Amino acid sequence: MTPHDIADIQTLSSQEQRVLNRISGQTDRFRDSHARAFTILDGFEGTRPTIDVERALYFTQSFRQTEGQPLVLRWAKALHHIAENITVSIDDNQLLAGRIGKPGRYGILYPELDGDFLGQAVREMPHRIGAPFGISEQDARIVEAEIAPYWKGRTYHEALNMALPPDIHKFTYDAPEGLVSRFIVNETSSFRSSIQWVHDYEKVLKRGFGDIQREAQARLDALDPLSPRDEVEKKPFLEAVVLVSGAIILWAHRHAALARKLARNESDPRRRQELDDIAGICERVPEHPARTFHEAVQSQWFTQMFSRLEQKTGTIISNGRMDQYFYPYYRADIDAGGITDERVLELIECMWVGMAQFVDLYISPTGGAFNEGYAHWEAVTIGGQTREGRDATNELTYLFLKSKQEFPLHYPDLAARIHSRSPERFLREVAETIKEGSGFPKLINDEEVVPLYVSKGASFGEAYDYAVSGCAEARMPNRDTYTSGGAYINFAAALEMALFDGRMLKFGERRLGAATGDPRSFRSWEEMWNAYLTQQLLFCKTAFTQQYIVCGLRARHFAQPMGSALHDLCMEHCLDLHTPQIPGGINLGYFECIGFGTVVDSLAAIRKLVFEEQRVSMAELIEALRTDFAGQAPLRLLLRSAPCYGNNDPYADEIAREIDRAFLEYSRKYSRELGIHNDIRYVPFTSHVPFGKVVSATPNGRHAFTPLADGSSASHGADVNGPTAILLSNYATKNYGYRERAARLLNIKLTPKCVEGEAGTRKLANFIRTFCDLKLWHVQFNVVNRDTLLAAQREPDKYRNLIVRIAGYSAYFVDLSPDLQNDLIARTAHGSL
Amino acid sequence: MTALARRKDGSPTGIVFNVQRYSLHDGEGIRTLVFLKGCTLRCRWCGNPESQRRKPEIARNVRRCLGIETCSYCTGVCTEGALRLPAAGAPAIDRNNCTACGACAAKCPALALHLYGTRRSASEVLDEVETDWPFYVRSGGGMTLSGGEPLAQEEFALALLREAKRRHIDAAVETCGLVPWETLAAAAELSGAIYFDIKAIDADRHIAWTGGNNRAILSNLERLADAFPRLAVTVRTPVIPGFNDDEAEIGAILSFLARLPSVSFELLPYHRLGSEKYRFLDRRDEMSDQALPTERFDALAAFAAERRRLTGRSSLNVHIAEKSSEIPAAPALLAEPGVAAGYIGALGGC
Ligand code: SF4
Ligand code: SF4
Repeated sequence: MTPHDIADIQTLSSQEQRVLNRISGQTDRFRDSHARAFTILDGFEGTRPTIDVERALYFTQSFRQTEGQPLVLRWAKALHHIAENITVSIDDNQLLAGRIGKPGRYGILYPELDGDFLGQAVREMPHRIGAPFGISEQDARIVEAEIAPYWKGRTYHEALNMALPPDIHKFTYDAPEGLVSRFIVNETSSFRSSIQWVHDYEKVLKRGFGDIQREAQARLDALDPLSPRDEVEKKPFLEAVVLVSGAIILWAHRHAALARKLARNESDPRRRQELDDIAGICERVPEHPARTFHEAVQSQWFTQMFSRLEQKTGTIISNGRMDQYFYPYYRADIDAGGITDERVLELIECMWVGMAQFVDLYISPTGGAFNEGYAHWEAVTIGGQTREGRDATNELTYLFLKSKQEFPLHYPDLAARIHSRSPERFLREVAETIKEGSGFPKLINDEEVVPLYVSKGASFGEAYDYAVSGCAEARMPNRDTYTSGGAYINFAAALEMALFDGRMLKFGERRLGAATGDPRSFRSWEEMWNAYLTQQLLFCKTAFTQQYIVCGLRARHFAQPMGSALHDLCMEHCLDLHTPQIPGGINLGYFECIGFGTVVDSLAAIRKLVFEEQRVSMAELIEALRTDFAGQAPLRLLLRSAPCYGNNDPYADEIAREIDRAFLEYSRKYSRELGIHNDIRYVPFTSHVPFGKVVSATPNGRHAFTPLADGSSASHGADVNGPTAILLSNYATKNYGYRERAARLLNIKLTPKCVEGEAGTRKLANFIRTFCDLKLWHVQFNVVNRDTLLAAQREPDKYRNLIVRIAGYSAYFVDLSPDLQNDLIARTAHGSL
Repeated sequence: MTALARRKDGSPTGIVFNVQRYSLHDGEGIRTLVFLKGCTLRCRWCGNPESQRRKPEIARNVRRCLGIETCSYCTGVCTEGALRLPAAGAPAIDRNNCTACGACAAKCPALALHLYGTRRSASEVLDEVETDWPFYVRSGGGMTLSGGEPLAQEEFALALLREAKRRHIDAAVETCGLVPWETLAAAAELSGAIYFDIKAIDADRHIAWTGGNNRAILSNLERLADAFPRLAVTVRTPVIPGFNDDEAEIGAILSFLARLPSVSFELLPYHRLGSEKYRFLDRRDEMSDQALPTERFDALAAFAAERRRLTGRSSLNVHIAEKSSEIPAAPALLAEPGVAAGYIGALGGC
């Protein structure tokens, strides 16, 4: 089918219409009203990102000089060295200053994290499928000669690899060097220095780093000169805060100077004025409190960019409740007549295009496979409730939605908080934005998050004020204190081990898991269930042991003086945010289960067809799995016809609930030993694809080494009862009596037809209300025709701009690997059945 | 009417051939469609041939069959000798001997054999319908009875409506209008909305194309509008090429409706999406080669809109509707394995 055939026979989403218009050479209808952002976007859209080595180079130079000093101080010195030396530039047309890499899309390096991969990586990255990066020959040599050698033997990744006991290591890495994941119980703490995070940006806007620096200096001056603890712990921390505050101020002032210089040489009087304004603003913020909307945006932008220089926050630092902390500046400017809504959009879209040029770079092949299509989660949160529990939507909330409807960019990730009293206007506008078709916003449910966080120790005010962070998480910026990445468990591998007595076909005769016996000798479903449970619990133990080691190890490798300076508890106790236990903090960790739908459907098929109806013998099943159903098409289809998760079928849902309960019980019992909440989460990024690659055929009829089910979504094509059944299955399989639960990610693909027109908007809004009533954590929608995706696969050049939602983030469809593209196409699309 | 089988709990039973959740185009809100088997008309263009006969029928989709040479799941299942097994390829059904017991369909893993119509009790059906109540309360949705002609299974249909009312679930009915007035009145009493098909005013043509006299239909509509002035009644006219796709016929319908101020009106576009199902039943789709150009439909829609405006009904604009069930039956989805084998998509009541 050609693009035009598609237009002929189907209802199109606005995005599809826009892509087709572009193919036929028409200008975007919103181009004129968003001229500046479109012009900047033209300069980099669809280009391959390049690696910029400056951050890594200056960081390494400084670290060479500071061996043996307290880590937080070393970090602050390194940041200061970067702030002094890194190239500063201001893009044409931009109203905001502060990029941290080469022109166009760029990624930067964090050698302290996984520098042992660097040598290999700079040669391989340009050829990677899924998320390639370019690097100049000169820069590649800098990496090999001046950066990588220093880190050899010093990285966190190497330390972790050595610290894992053999029983844990064998599930984690494929070989002793730990360069390749085994994709069974996968650690993710070496992909990033910190899990996704949200800073208290409001603090910067209200106080400025100048004030934070003064506070730290005053407390330094007031330290007890005779106290050893003050000397060893507090002094370096406070010195680091003074230093890092100075660093970001210095960096801003370098931009101010540059803007003045550019202004002097600028011939166009309008641009000259803009540059002079930029200079004035950079002289003021983030050192001082912001006074105008423009200053507030610039101050936030410097902070988030400096945070990216500070550490790799997986993946990309989140933006917090922007419609809340910018609102006072918006209101004041509007009231004073100093700004218009058009100008506000222009400023925030200048920020969006700035974000879009920073691409999070994953050095390790595993990190790359987990985060295809240049994954990014710089979630901007809108809506939700105030600290008093009142609805928080305001005019800015609607402007953010308008921007997403009119300026089609998948940066930033937009997250809408929904609650039981969300105004109808908000839900309708959210629905309208979802209908645009590029996957925004994702929805997070206050009715699930707030009580859960209160039960985990937050006050109501803190819980009401949470910000969406990363993929589907929620953070309380001054209360959360947990920054370690958690384990990803391959559920389907546990199932395979239960079927092959602890072995997996991919890894040969070696028994990796527990010896649970030959299932051909099982007489009852209970025996099968227990075998599965034994493997699952072994995986849990593996995951928790990894985490035990990770928690202790990370603080010796990572510090974040700026992030800590913005955290009330860190400042109070003079502790870096990466410290394992910070008094008064709540440690909200999680571990991840991949392949939920696959395992549930498989166990349901075994229970029903092998044990209850005895239509299939266990021997027959095992043989079929071993041969990937070769010559067994009828049996495969029979297995597929068993009850499936995602159809609101109590048979499958009960099994799912019991699996979930087993995890929760484990977590309830053993989280304590880690001193954190290590709760169960179902959020895959794109990891269900690589995890699927180690798992042979499964009893739900899934072929060997194909993707697993993602998040808490149903297996591919298994959800035939429509989206209402998916929500109800999700609800039915949650154990609301436990607090050990964390996020669940849910993907729903709809055809544009079923949300067509005003009636479609209304019904989508109603659907979202029910999602809220059911207390589900998260939902996101792809509104796209299958034919469009197929056409984009065939003619990627024409569909460069097609954006799809993957797993808590949106990406260009053509940036994804063929595996993931097919995975997306295979997700059932729901029309109005 | 034969005595109605009842479950032990006293709940009446009937033949249902599909229950379809998340329906968005058949009334207010998010709805569940319940398709009852049996129809009082035999429209030539029928998009739901499986809905016409009252009794269950076995359907056979040759394209999905794995072939008897590789798959033997249906071998030896039929006790009536009605399933003819060739040496290779798909089995055939001897429809004279088939009792539609469904035994073969229950064994077929490929959904190549499928039973249209199972006997279910009103409370069983409502148990399923009720699972989506969280969506009904938010969207103003509920249950819609469709068919066939749902009121042809009079006692069962009314039992479903009563059961819905007892459970506080809003109900709507799609009818072809050719039912006893008393039945229609009883259904209207229990429903929040009625979707009423008017296919043509010309009596001879109506008989020739649908096998039914439209006199009773038109009088039923008049009585309905008269007796239930506050009930939401929507008249729907499917535009059929060669039958009513001209201004004269649509105009005649609009003139008739001009006398019924409480009734709104929708035109439904013509389609052949149900064509495959004729083959599933070893029947021939007489209209498989007929098409209605989009321009023709648009012109009629414009014509109707203008007429309604002139008669002061702009508030009841022509609504160009599509019934929910047409969506999943779109060609791309029919071809997609896993989406219920192409049997889905009972195409509404017309
Ligand atoms: S439905 Fe029953 S009688 Fe008919 S072919 Fe199948 S098994 Fe035989
Ligand atoms: S069981 Fe189904 S797929 Fe198998 S041969 Fe019979 S009809 Fe064909």
